[in-house]
Amino acid sequence: MKHLKAINNKAQLLDKAVAEDQVEEVVAMQSLAGCAATTDPGWEIDAFGSVTSLCQPMESDLYGCADPCWWPAQVPDMMNTHTNWNENAQDSGESWRNLGTVFPSDKK
Amino acid sequence: MNTIIRSPLAFAISAALATTALPASAQEDAVKIVQSKCLACHTEESHTKKNEGAPQWSRISHQRKTPEGWLMTIGRMQMMHGLQISDDERSAVVKYLADRQGLAPEETADYRYAMERRLDTMEAFDDSFFEEMCARCHSGARVGLQRRPAEEWEHLVHFHLGQWPSTEYQALARDRDWFPMAINDMVPKLAKMFPMDSDSWDHWQAAPKPEFVGQWSFAVHQPGRGDGSGLMTVTKQEGDQYSVSVDGQWADGTPLKGSGSAIVYTGFEWRAEIDLGGVITRQVLAASKDGMNLRGRVFEAAHDERGMEFTAAKATTGNSQIIAVYPQNLKAGESTEVTIVGAGLKGRVSMGNGVSIEKVLKRSYNSVTVLTKADADATTSANAVTVGGVNGGQFAVYKKVDSVKVQPAFTIARVGGNGGSTPKVQARFEAEAWGAGPDGQSGTDDDIRIGYLPANWHVEPFDEAAKADNDVHFAGRMDAASGVFTPGNAGPNPERRMSTNNAGNLKVVASVKDGDQTLQGDGQLIVTVQRWNDAPLP
Repeated sequence: MKHLKAINNKAQLLDKAVAEDQVEEVVAMQSLAGCAATTDPGWEIDAFGSVTSLCQPMESDLYGCADPCWWPAQVPDMMNTHTNWNENAQDSGESWRNLGTVFPSDKK
Repeated sequence: MNTIIRSPLAFAISAALATTALPASAQEDAVKIVQSKCLACHTEESHTKKNEGAPQWSRISHQRKTPEGWLMTIGRMQMMHGLQISDDERSAVVKYLADRQGLAPEETADYRYAMERRLDTMEAFDDSFFEEMCARCHSGARVGLQRRPAEEWEHLVHFHLGQWPSTEYQALARDRDWFPMAINDMVPKLAKMFPMDSDSWDHWQAAPKPEFVGQWSFAVHQPGRGDGSGLMTVTKQEGDQYSVSVDGQWADGTPLKGSGSAIVYTGFEWRAEIDLGGVITRQVLAASKDGMNLRGRVFEAAHDERGMEFTAAKATTGNSQIIAVYPQNLKAGESTEVTIVGAGLKGRVSMGNGVSIEKVLKRSYNSVTVLTKADADATTSANAVTVGGVNGGQFAVYKKVDSVKVQPAFTIARVGGNGGSTPKVQARFEAEAWGAGPDGQSGTDDDIRIGYLPANWHVEPFDEAAKADNDVHFAGRMDAASGVFTPGNAGPNPERRMSTNNAGNLKVVASVKDGDQTLQGDGQLIVTVQRWNDAPLP
């Protein structure tokens, strides 16, 4: 990070969090069973333990997550496993209601 | 909607026995299904002495898993490799594999929360390497509920990388030599942590198994609803399948009745589907090795966050124990009815120092309800409750509440509904009262747990960003009396900045009235987006 300079608000926040050792605390907070704990950011929670730095609305970046298997435990990956997941929802912002869950009803 | 697996795993139903073995015909059927469905890719291996001539297949025969784990494996074969298999066939194979290649009771002990769908469990592992490598994308429990030799763990690393090529990048491979670490360090570690061969499994296979038929005295506790108890009657059907009837009541007298069916895997893993007053619920329970207890969680099939703790004692001669006492506490100088639930509850009831029994209101073999009174000058203490010679109950008497904790201290809810395929996922909270203990200081080791008390609930912005985005308005509503938070609708919200979702970062505040004082405790609630991939093990 020493060669990178934060120029926008989000990057400055991250710098500040690292300086205050907050990131490590946040990682601990993100270990709810089954939630993504990856810090770039997580699917459920951002690197600050909040939601304000998530890609929001989620629909605007959903396929940017699904195409490259970014959170395959939370979002069906469209690279190898669920290649047709969005066949009825080409525009996620308009037709997100057409998206289904995988493994929806077999938790007996 | 693109639903990959449409129908339930038929937790088919068969009957009771005292061994883990399926009837011979069911075993043969399962073997035939594997041979006809799985051997297009897997290969039959020569029989080993250990398996005593049972069929053995590549990959399949070298892993042990829970029923949910085997279900996920077969589901994955359907999703990724085009396996065509009916629900009934899949159920038969899950049953066969979970019985023959399951986990022993103690091998599941640390990870039962995943099977029980306790998704507010905060996972913590002593081994940070395991956490970083295995528990960053899915739960560590998903791994901890499998047993494999090193070769099979290695296959799993390759599978991850092949199926999800960005795994390496996601796992910070830009900054470290990830793949050699996974193969050379993580694989041997996993083979040691979760080995295929174990004494536990050998012993469990040889051990006599619990007998489920009969009556079970049960107690339940549901956040936002309270306590209840009753009798669960289990009747044998075919194989390891049972019919179940539940006859009980909540503490306020509301009936808690229903019926359904159950199946037992691996000799102790009880899975039932019960219609409780029109709501389909699932029981994920484990029998104790001696067959005298059932413990776990019961939750709504369509809303697994709506669940209750479930504890049961076999109502049989020779089993004497207390499994629950409710309510959990009484303030000095006040009176209340207390119900003690268990089995073999004969003799005098004692609630400990400072609490007198005014009257026995109701009693049976399985429960006693008494009118109790706490002395006006009682000091705060956690008392032991006994009935005759039976120990095991706990009850707190308190002079005053010194602090309040919100449980869970941190959890999530998920937006849903609004015409989409995922329902809203609620969050439920309880206010846990504590006494300061002998040192008079709250937050120290000698604090005394008083237990749950009614509270008045509300939410506030957790921080400045949440305040600026008006998360309290958009993210959902907290029910002031029950502590149940219902999140907002799914989808972009044009009323919000950048049409953001109804996500939010909220402080959950419980206000508990105790005499003239009102104490507050708080927790954090993240209201977040849907989970589109919601496997049986998170």
